[in-house]
Amino acid sequence: MRLKEGFITHETNGEQVMVGTGKANFSGLVRSNATAAFIVDTLKTDTTKEEIVKAMAAKYDAPQEVIEKDVERILETLRGIGAIQE
Amino acid sequence: MEVTFYMTLAGQVIQISALYPTTKEFCKDYLVEDGTEQLADLTPAITIIITPEDIQYEQEKSAREDEVEGIPVRHFSEPYLETLAVYRKIAEQMPFYDTILFHGSAIAVDGEAYLFTAKSGTGKSTHTRFWRDYFGERAVMVNDDKPLIRITQDGVTVYGTPWNGKHRLGSHISAPLKAICLLERDKENHIEVATAKELYPRLLQQTYRPGNPAAMMQTLQLMDELTGQVGLYRLGCNLSPEAAKVAYEGIHSTEFFK
Repeated sequence: MRLKEGFITHETNGEQVMVGTGKANFSGLVRSNATAAFIVDTLKTDTTKEEIVKAMAAKYDAPQEVIEKDVERILETLRGIGAIQE
Repeated sequence: MEVTFYMTLAGQVIQISALYPTTKEFCKDYLVEDGTEQLADLTPAITIIITPEDIQYEQEKSAREDEVEGIPVRHFSEPYLETLAVYRKIAEQMPFYDTILFHGSAIAVDGEAYLFTAKSGTGKSTHTRFWRDYFGERAVMVNDDKPLIRITQDGVTVYGTPWNGKHRLGSHISAPLKAICLLERDKENHIEVATAKELYPRLLQQTYRPGNPAAMMQTLQLMDELTGQVGLYRLGCNLSPEAAKVAYEGIHSTEFFK
């Protein structure tokens, strides 16, 4: 899976924001904390949930279940706005 | 039947090939004079050609939005839809000329512009009407609905355009933009300085989002520059004319702290 074309991230005011282009059918704005931004960045190339969890585990010192839950929650949010191409 | 003409918008020459002569009429205040000598020297920055598909796209987009709003689907005339299609195509290209299309009501007082933005129905146009009443001849409407904003390191300028709202309020002028105010209804009139971070989502909501990813990225960069350069405010206002005075004095008493 990966971030769908038409979703663009941008660093501003010390945070990552993600918006859709005029063609993306998403007119909102996602403000990401550091964890979410890391996941969004990982999704800029084709990847899997397992790979994202692995990359997160290498970067953050947290129990595996916590990381898995975080990744699932954020992927769910991104799916909800149509930002994921499976 | 096709009609081709040149106009200037936000300092750029634009060549338009439209299907309906009404589109040229709509743009009449912005046309480059029909002198052949002059036209021969013009190299348009942006060239727009309207096709029947562009007009159909506007009708479909409007219908989708009506469905989302839960109101009966409205049908518009093709000449009207063509004016929308022309502005969309212009707005798609404008970020490459450091310019964005912004939804709001812009008024100039003593040569400096103030831009009010809000969700539809909040009272942007009512508020700028209060400004005209309060300032009289010192006030000039730049654009009541969809001005263009040019953002460079030398400053931010707001431009009038023919797309100036249902009351057709605006003029073919430009003015340096002093402040952007997010308008919200409240019981009392009050104004506070706002940060770029708190207003960013609301401002982006009122900014045209190009379909081309490169133009969208450019738009986001221009937004950073814009919010860094002009005064940002939250304006709570009721529907009394005094709101104009409160807003103007609030902006002018806080600028020292910027």
